[in-house]
Amino acid sequence: MTQEAELISQILKGDIESFRLLLERYERPVVRMIRNITNDTESCEDVAQDVFFAAYRKLASFDPARSSFTTWLFTIARNKSLNALKKKRAFSMGKLPEETDLNNPSDSIVRNELFEELDRELRALPSRQKRALILAEFEKLPYEQIAQIEGVKIGTVKSRINRAKEKLRSALSSFCEGNI
Amino acid sequence: MKSEETYNAWKKRKSQIEVSGTFSDKVMSRIYQYERARRRPLFDFQRFVETISAHTFAKGALVAAGAAMGLVRLIFMILVILSRGDING
Repeated sequence: MTQEAELISQILKGDIESFRLLLERYERPVVRMIRNITNDTESCEDVAQDVFFAAYRKLASFDPARSSFTTWLFTIARNKSLNALKKKRAFSMGKLPEETDLNNPSDSIVRNELFEELDRELRALPSRQKRALILAEFEKLPYEQIAQIEGVKIGTVKSRINRAKEKLRSALSSFCEGNI
Repeated sequence: MKSEETYNAWKKRKSQIEVSGTFSDKVMSRIYQYERARRRPLFDFQRFVETISAHTFAKGALVAAGAAMGLVRLIFMILVILSRGDING
């Protein structure tokens, strides 16, 4: 029995505090995934709270034979993110602290502009492509897990990721060409 | 800056995340609240007594209800005794 399976079994037996260990293990990836899908740094933690609370309530229905705990949890996170997106359509991406290269400020400014361009392009991607890209590139999930979370075939996931990457790549090239 | 380098640097930046220190406490407190509500019995006698004792009106109503029930029972007994007397007579 894996450590995770043991934890789940303890929680189901009534040891609520064991859930904190799962929570601490997954809080960062879940919050990050929600932030990247919803583009909302303000309420991503609130949505993540709902995800973990729902996971706790539904824990008895988790079947390790059907999927891994990560896949199961990320599926809940995906659904909650989509609901949050439906509720609030217009988001503004909160800016992360900008790293300024004091040795070469002009390089740093160009880099931040490029990052902003990529952010814009990510936001503009079709929702399915965006989710697949986020799960693959930021969460480093294998294609099989992404396919399970999205409820599609692996081939579909691959093509969505490729298309998303292609769009980002072309946006990046055209931005560079326009700024030369 | 090469585009591959930029893309990787952007990915790295998007992967950074700061979760507030109270996040897990907030979730756990919600879970404990949920469990308390779930485990509460349908009828909590002690809570009922506490609620009644805290309200003068409720206390009065309970005494009045008890007295009414006693009166009804007394009338019922009298009626039963009288009806037996009729049958025997």
